[in-house]
Amino acid sequence: MQAIKVEDLSKTFRIKRKEKGMRGSVKAIFHPQTEEIHAVNGVSFAVEEGEMLAFIGPNGAGKSTTIKMLTGILYPDGGRVEVLGIDPTKKRRQLAYRIGTVFGQKEQLWTHLTPYDNFRFFGAIYDLSERETEARIAELAERFELGGFIDTPVRNLSLGQRIRCEIVASLIHRPMVLFLDEPTIGLDPVVKENIRELIRQMNREEHTTIFLTSHDVGDIEKLCRRIIIVNDGQIVLDDSVEHLKSHYSEHSLEDIIVEIYKSQEEN
Amino acid sequence: MLTAVKNQMRVCILSIKYNMMREMVNKVTFLTNVGFMVLNNASFLVQWVILFRLRGDVGGYTFREIMLLWGLVAASFGLSHILFARVFSLSDLIIGGKLDAYLVQPKNVLASVLTSATDVSAIGDFLYGMGLGLICSRGAGGFFLYLLFTVTGAVVFTAFALLLGSLSFWFVRMDMLQSQMVMGIVSFGTYPDGIFKGVSRFLLYFVIPVGMAVWQPVHLLVSFDAGMFFTVTGYAAFLVVAAVAVFYRGLRRYASGNLMEARM
Amino acid sequence: MNRLAKQDGIVRCMPWRKYAVIYRSVLLENLQYAANIAVGFFSYAVFIYTFIMLWNYMYRTPGELIAGYTKEQMIWYVMMTEMIWFGSSAASVAREVSTDIRGGNIAYLMNKPYHYTLYVMAKYTGGWSIRLPMYAVLAVVIGTVLVGPLPRFSLAAVPAMVLCVVLGLTINAVLKMCISLFSFWIEDATPFQWLYDKLLLIVGTMFPVEIFPKTLQPLFKLTPIYTVCYGPAKLIVDFSPEKCVEILAVQAVYLLAGCGLMFLIYGRGVKKLYVNGG
Repeated sequence: MQAIKVEDLSKTFRIKRKEKGMRGSVKAIFHPQTEEIHAVNGVSFAVEEGEMLAFIGPNGAGKSTTIKMLTGILYPDGGRVEVLGIDPTKKRRQLAYRIGTVFGQKEQLWTHLTPYDNFRFFGAIYDLSERETEARIAELAERFELGGFIDTPVRNLSLGQRIRCEIVASLIHRPMVLFLDEPTIGLDPVVKENIRELIRQMNREEHTTIFLTSHDVGDIEKLCRRIIIVNDGQIVLDDSVEHLKSHYSEHSLEDIIVEIYKSQEEN
Repeated sequence: MLTAVKNQMRVCILSIKYNMMREMVNKVTFLTNVGFMVLNNASFLVQWVILFRLRGDVGGYTFREIMLLWGLVAASFGLSHILFARVFSLSDLIIGGKLDAYLVQPKNVLASVLTSATDVSAIGDFLYGMGLGLICSRGAGGFFLYLLFTVTGAVVFTAFALLLGSLSFWFVRMDMLQSQMVMGIVSFGTYPDGIFKGVSRFLLYFVIPVGMAVWQPVHLLVSFDAGMFFTVTGYAAFLVVAAVAVFYRGLRRYASGNLMEARM
Repeated sequence: MNRLAKQDGIVRCMPWRKYAVIYRSVLLENLQYAANIAVGFFSYAVFIYTFIMLWNYMYRTPGELIAGYTKEQMIWYVMMTEMIWFGSSAASVAREVSTDIRGGNIAYLMNKPYHYTLYVMAKYTGGWSIRLPMYAVLAVVIGTVLVGPLPRFSLAAVPAMVLCVVLGLTINAVLKMCISLFSFWIEDATPFQWLYDKLLLIVGTMFPVEIFPKTLQPLFKLTPIYTVCYGPAKLIVDFSPEKCVEILAVQAVYLLAGCGLMFLIYGRGVKKLYVNGG
């Protein structure tokens, strides 16, 4: 079964423009000028259940806009989205029970509370009973090795420990699809590796579909079998990592991606 | 349905509890913040002592009635800012695109947003208001009525802020207007209605809800009238319904990305 | 690139130019939010309107004097003190300095090639120099329409009044900055800002000093109230050359002492930061 199905998805924004200097400021008051930006422009793809997909592209390519539409935060202007058979625009809350989100740069945890208290809060958000929550916390704490710091306030944790807790918090309700936006940003190589292993394990044991965006090629290489590159709101490549590598056998994945980005710029 | 409401309440209460815990991490800061707000409010006693030295009544109010007025404003302002502080900066959330975090949760967006922050100094306002209520109310019944009006006042504060804050879904920079109008309740509400006449009096009932939030409750505390009592409570309920409706209308616009200007 | 290099050259030979540039960028920023300033007018109008209503009620007969002030003078007094308060918005100085120090941002700002306190003051000046004239216009409009012109107001004295107002609001910002600079030592200086603001607001802006009991009046004249709000406002509603000289003299003393204190506290604070590493 397909976990995510996207057909001809588009989203256009209108952006205000202001000219430079004093004159521009004055002008913007009387004649605000707008410009249309096609953030996502006719994107189609499907993700199988249990698949791990890397969804990458240069800054401003339309990655987060796409994630926002997949999670129901934004409504598309055109095209269709289905996540786990649910239309996010129509049944956002119903979908929310079944997906998880981790944004590496945004904290969802309460920093003055312990991870344990945080997890209980998320348990409450997803309507788990006390018993279910406790059992799930115990299970994840063991798997993610949180035992040493589960009772330490989040603000006193290292970044690596915090990200592990962020991921656990998003897994409390056993989501079937997990959206990871730059999960390893700012982490040292050892911790990165540790996080990747945990994500792999999650995927293996709970059959969680992973939708990953990252600028870290290591994340992509170690986690994903398939890669989608977007630029200017359009898919420019949708291929298996393996095929991509064999095609450009001489180069590392990093070089290949840089090449693709560059050739895009030239067009 | 009932369990959904119960679960929602559970999350909201947890949220408020955790907010409080966060603020109490540093006990000294917490206590000074609360204490100074009480002092801050008490400092306005100077103004009224001076004014009552000049004349025996101000706008037809005795000193005790002015204190009831002040207390009610402080207590309802305090209560709304303790429980629903976030609504008073709703514009920032909307314009900054920070509603996303609440939209990926399977809970009521509005309830989660409202209870996602607290304002410590508001505890000082609330305590000051309660203090004045205890001193100036007539008997237990009077104080009970005072408590009730504290709640309706807090409801009006919150709903009014929600209504104006939600306009940020359509207009940029509503944050200023929102805070100005909300503070308008405080600015006008801490003066007796007897000094306002004509058009301004009309505006203070129908544009800024000072009349129904503060003045009528004080009149009711002085002499009770069942009809006006139901008008006051009915008005609060009406404002809630209107504000919630506008918020959800706006939320649809948020999801359509029409206010994405600043956050690409 | 070229322009940048040129600017750099100017900065080196004209050390004051950087403050002019900071000033200009704040001016630009404020112009962009001209609409917001208009919204701030609302709050000012609310205060003034309430006070007009209040004093209309308090004065029973036309021509009555309260504490030596006619009704018009009494209301104009509040309009002027509130104009200074709103137009200058010295709270922004306090807020900025506190957040810079508490948030640790100060470590980056103090190593820049400008003096941090003057940098904040330049920004502050950029803020009020666009806001204050707008509030002045608003005050004059409200005053002439709702209150009536001031008796015995002389246009010739306006430059002296303006000077007095500008000195007053600069002193206010310097004092507020001094209080905020205590954030180097204490976790939160906000309570002290409050106390200071309350003193100005309750005693200095709502009523002229003369309305308070006689025994308290000399005491109030020793506080910043005299130079920051009472002085300038009194001068506007009831001008006399002698009073003008007196107020300006006191303001000069306050400004010098205030700036000295500001540099001293800042220097100490920075030293403490270097020793303890924040």
